[in-house]
Amino acid sequence: MTALPQFNLPQFDLPLLDQPHTARRADMPTTLAAAPVFDIEAVLASIDSMAAQKPVAAQIVSVANADGASAKELSAVLASDVTLAGRVLKLSNSAYFGMRGRVTSLQFAVTVVGFTTVRTMATVALTDLDDESQLPEDFWDVSTHLALAAAALAPRFGERPQDALCIGLLAQLGVALLHHNDPEGYAELSAAQPGAAGRRAAEVQRYGIHALRLTSVALEQWGFPHTMVLPLREVDDLGSPGGGLLRTAFELAGRLCLDGHEKVPVPVLSGGRLAERDVTTVLESVRAQADELRRALLG
Amino acid sequence: MTVRANAPTGQPVPPDVMAAVFHTAILSDRMALLVVEVVGRRRTVVWTNDKAVELLGYAPEDLSALPLEQLLPSLGGGELRLLLRRERAVQMTLPVRSASGAPLECIVRANPDQTGRLWTLRVFTVDAGDQRVSRATADAHERRFATLTERSPIPTLLSEQGMRLAHVNDAFCALVGQQAEHLLGTGWLTSMHPDDLDAVLEQAATVLDGGEGEVQARLVRADGTVRTTVIRFAHLFTPGVGAGFVGTIEDITERLAFETRLAHQAHHDPLTGLPNRTLLAEHVTERFDPAGSGLACIFLDLDNFKVVNDSLGHAAGDDLLVEVATRLRSTVRPHDLVARFGGDEFVVVCEDVDEADVVALAERIGEALRRPLRIRGVDHRPQASIGVTVQTGEHVSAEELIRDCDIAMYQAKAGGRGRITVLDHLARAQARDKLRLVADLRAAIEARDITLLYQPIFSTQDGTPVAVESLARWEHPERGAISPSTFVPLAEENGLVSALGLLVLDETCRQLVEWDRVLGEDAPARANVNVSALQLDGNLCGHVESALQRHGLAPRRLSVEITESALVKDPASARAVLLQLRDLGVELAIDDFGTGYSSLAYLRHLPVTSLKVDRSFVAELADGHPEITTAVIALARSLNLHTVAEGVETAEQAAELTRLGATYLQGFSLAEPMGGDVLAAWFAGRRSALR
Repeated sequence: MTALPQFNLPQFDLPLLDQPHTARRADMPTTLAAAPVFDIEAVLASIDSMAAQKPVAAQIVSVANADGASAKELSAVLASDVTLAGRVLKLSNSAYFGMRGRVTSLQFAVTVVGFTTVRTMATVALTDLDDESQLPEDFWDVSTHLALAAAALAPRFGERPQDALCIGLLAQLGVALLHHNDPEGYAELSAAQPGAAGRRAAEVQRYGIHALRLTSVALEQWGFPHTMVLPLREVDDLGSPGGGLLRTAFELAGRLCLDGHEKVPVPVLSGGRLAERDVTTVLESVRAQADELRRALLG
Repeated sequence: MTVRANAPTGQPVPPDVMAAVFHTAILSDRMALLVVEVVGRRRTVVWTNDKAVELLGYAPEDLSALPLEQLLPSLGGGELRLLLRRERAVQMTLPVRSASGAPLECIVRANPDQTGRLWTLRVFTVDAGDQRVSRATADAHERRFATLTERSPIPTLLSEQGMRLAHVNDAFCALVGQQAEHLLGTGWLTSMHPDDLDAVLEQAATVLDGGEGEVQARLVRADGTVRTTVIRFAHLFTPGVGAGFVGTIEDITERLAFETRLAHQAHHDPLTGLPNRTLLAEHVTERFDPAGSGLACIFLDLDNFKVVNDSLGHAAGDDLLVEVATRLRSTVRPHDLVARFGGDEFVVVCEDVDEADVVALAERIGEALRRPLRIRGVDHRPQASIGVTVQTGEHVSAEELIRDCDIAMYQAKAGGRGRITVLDHLARAQARDKLRLVADLRAAIEARDITLLYQPIFSTQDGTPVAVESLARWEHPERGAISPSTFVPLAEENGLVSALGLLVLDETCRQLVEWDRVLGEDAPARANVNVSALQLDGNLCGHVESALQRHGLAPRRLSVEITESALVKDPASARAVLLQLRDLGVELAIDDFGTGYSSLAYLRHLPVTSLKVDRSFVAELADGHPEITTAVIALARSLNLHTVAEGVETAEQAAELTRLGATYLQGFSLAEPMGGDVLAAWFAGRRSALR
């Protein structure tokens, strides 16, 4: 499996970015390791170079976004990548879609899982997110729980479950990028800031951009629909339904996956769209499906 | 401003071309353009076209003074660098702050120039063609659909992707007794009956792949009760998204129960609850394999059932039938079928048995039936004649198996009641031979292959032939001549006698007309036609009249002969028919008189014109026993009736009968039956000889 492109820029370019908000700075631990040689420009540029290294996945990402795209066209491209095609078939037959082994053709698999999901899976391949050795330890554990929680909660926020699932699966793309370029520093930052909001603040302070924003930039660059980018961009906007969905989903994923997770009340995070009494049902549903989703995506 | 640019060929673009392009950009009414310059950390708008001024509402000089961070407020915190990339063009959808302070949702595309200092921003407001609007439109459609179906009484499902549901309406929730949140996603599948789930998934998968379909499936409600439904799926495809479906559910539980009741009624005997003849036929047909074996039938007919009915009443008869049904059911094996064939007949069908097994079962049944019971205060010991048939290679259809079983039962009954008979090959062969003969007879009647012979009837006064009797003859193409004593009963047993009678009537009339044409006044004055007891109904007179009219004959040219035994069966209705015929003008004769035990008092009231003395009595004359013939002739004379003596075989008999006072004579010694043409020649010769 191809590793993420290595960045080898000689200078620390962070000063070009504006300084983070002082209030957020106050939240930051003082023991944080020194920032590495980190060039956000290079990280962003690497998003383009990934596409060049995984042309089939890049083509799928591109084709799936075309207005006139058909399942036939998409499956024809998908067939060139045996691994990815196998994952799409596996996912289409997973309990999540309820098809129970009835999907035998790639074209049918594409119609069952939907174009956005195929595109999401292609993006996973494109960015080497399927190589867990390159990722934070709990990356996919959190991502699958996050995705399922987002899908389960989506109707409450007026979002489409399928889009929410895909947003959840890809949301941590920025985390992968930051981790890849600064493994030790990012690990330390994560350990110091287990809370989602605090971590975003720490990311901004250390890298000039938080991971979700980085994800949104990448997805926007690859032409993902604006509706999928917006929740990532608006994750701290209390008035945004998409942002609220993502915040709440992260909270539920944290409760399910992270030891010592400090609960944040979901009515606050969700803008009153989810009550604590309803959380248990969602958590059970997410927990029941997470393993199989992960196997389908990465297996 | 210094402008340098290269064309795609790499050649420098002439200044006048650059000026023309720039002029177009300035005046463009569709594209808002801003040029941003980065100096140190400051990013400012250094140029705009008219469209940008119009779109954002700023005066040009205000725009120039405006830091870009204020124009693009969502790219705070250094995020402007995400848009202003030196290496590549970047497009973002983000809010742009207008002069009024209101954000405008725009697509902003930033193109760097070669220096890395300037960026051209193209700004488009998000319009109806934008995906956000498309999404909003799609969402609105979905909401409308949800609203439309929400209160619909028809349970409805809407999938979002694959089998995952995005919406269920109240009617569906009520149908399965669950809340919507438990049914969304794949939760609804848990409401499907486990045995039907595969069929539902199969059908839905087919529909997701395009097309429409429906499936009958049971839904298990939250309280455990089961509803039977028909789920109709329709394919939904959202471009750029994928495939889903709309499912509407019809609860057919009540309808199905009603249909089941109707089907049960159509296939079961209401009195005993046993399968009826229809279901029996279906049951045996389903299990009959011409190449197989082990299928067997037991046919039971209750002995003396009519006695119970007649003596104790029909209600008692019904009680007996119900008790027999109960005993049969409790005696047979669990998988055997017990059916009521009709009346007091029952059939048991067994599978995977040999002859010994089925005979043993028949014996057990016989024993069970013989147990005494009390019906309406009377002790009774039911008994049945039982026929048994086991499938052999000779059986080619299920019907044959049941028919053979029926034959076996008749054999049992003929051999003495209360018996069990296994059908033997000879009986089967005879029965089948009879069936073939019936089919041939039917074909012969339809093809008018039944021919008529005519036997003259002579007057005892002067010995002249005055009439003829029509006699039906059947020459079978393979079997040769078939006796009327064989084929007439066969026709009577198999519903062919009416067609046969009409044929004889019509052909006789035709022949009379032909004789009239050939012989003129010398033609037979009358033809006697035999009528079966089964023809003696309200239709007979109409048929006779119709035949006479068809051939233009006077009624007196026909004499209808009816056997005494036919008159005895239902004297009142027979008399009514005879009166109609007499009124029509045809003559009437009682055939085989003296053999039917008719009441002499009754005879007086019948409108007949003659009696035919049976040939058996005529034959007795030769043995010195003229008593009956004498009495019949005397009786007829006293009632003012003619007599026709049949079977006159000798001249002595003829002389004796003439002496006793018989009016007419008929027999081989006088004239044999002849074909129509031969008889015409015979009559002509006879008449000319007399002259």
